[in-house]
Amino acid sequence: MSKKYIKIETQANIENLAPIRLCLSTFFSNLNIHVDELVDIKTAISEAVSNAIDHAYDKDNGKVIAIGEIEGDFIHIIVQDFGKGIEDISLAMTPTYTTKAEEEHAGMGFTIMESFMDEVIVDSKVDEGTTITLTRRIRQRQSNI
Amino acid sequence: MVNYNYENNKLEIFLNGEIDIKSCKALRGIIDGYIMKYGPEEFVLDLSEVTFMDSSGIGLIIGRYNLLKLLGAKMTVINASENIKRIIELSNIKMECVRYE
Repeated sequence: MSKKYIKIETQANIENLAPIRLCLSTFFSNLNIHVDELVDIKTAISEAVSNAIDHAYDKDNGKVIAIGEIEGDFIHIIVQDFGKGIEDISLAMTPTYTTKAEEEHAGMGFTIMESFMDEVIVDSKVDEGTTITLTRRIRQRQSNI
Repeated sequence: MVNYNYENNKLEIFLNGEIDIKSCKALRGIIDGYIMKYGPEEFVLDLSEVTFMDSSGIGLIIGRYNLLKLLGAKMTVINASENIKRIIELSNIKMECVRYE
């Protein structure tokens, strides 16, 4: 089955969060996904990209690559950074765990990704970077009239 | 980005648009400015015009909740969309402060 994809490469700057989120969710809206499902996907994208932009680099000069893929009934979101990496992935994925409590982070990013997507894979190496791969099977299509 | 109304010791804040880590940084300062200015007994956060919210919004709600608790004020969050409700329910926000209308 042929795979469709879109790939965005940007600076890891907070200004780029909304454009990446909008671009990938618009790409997936081509599938005529039910609006509630699309909002859940958009939320998961926002969590993964926020993680790369906000946690990977101490300065603004890093790079983030965000890829959206459509493969039959499955969608994949891949968010890659080349920053500091995550030392303890299972700790980072623990609900309410955050390294940025002083910035009022709730530590719910991975919990939301896991709740809204079918599969969350985190691959990270300290000082090399992190790749988050999210997969979801599309349940509901809107009628395409 | 923010509208507000204050009367009878009640401060209402109306948020709109998309809530993410970028908008939260600005919203925190603005909302806390109104809270400190008026010192309300009752605080209402109205999400009816919010089109998108991720987990940064949970941090925003918990942060205001903790501040208002210190000030002895009561907080409610109203008019969350179905999607936003699901995000709030995933977190451990004390549900008595979240009211849906």
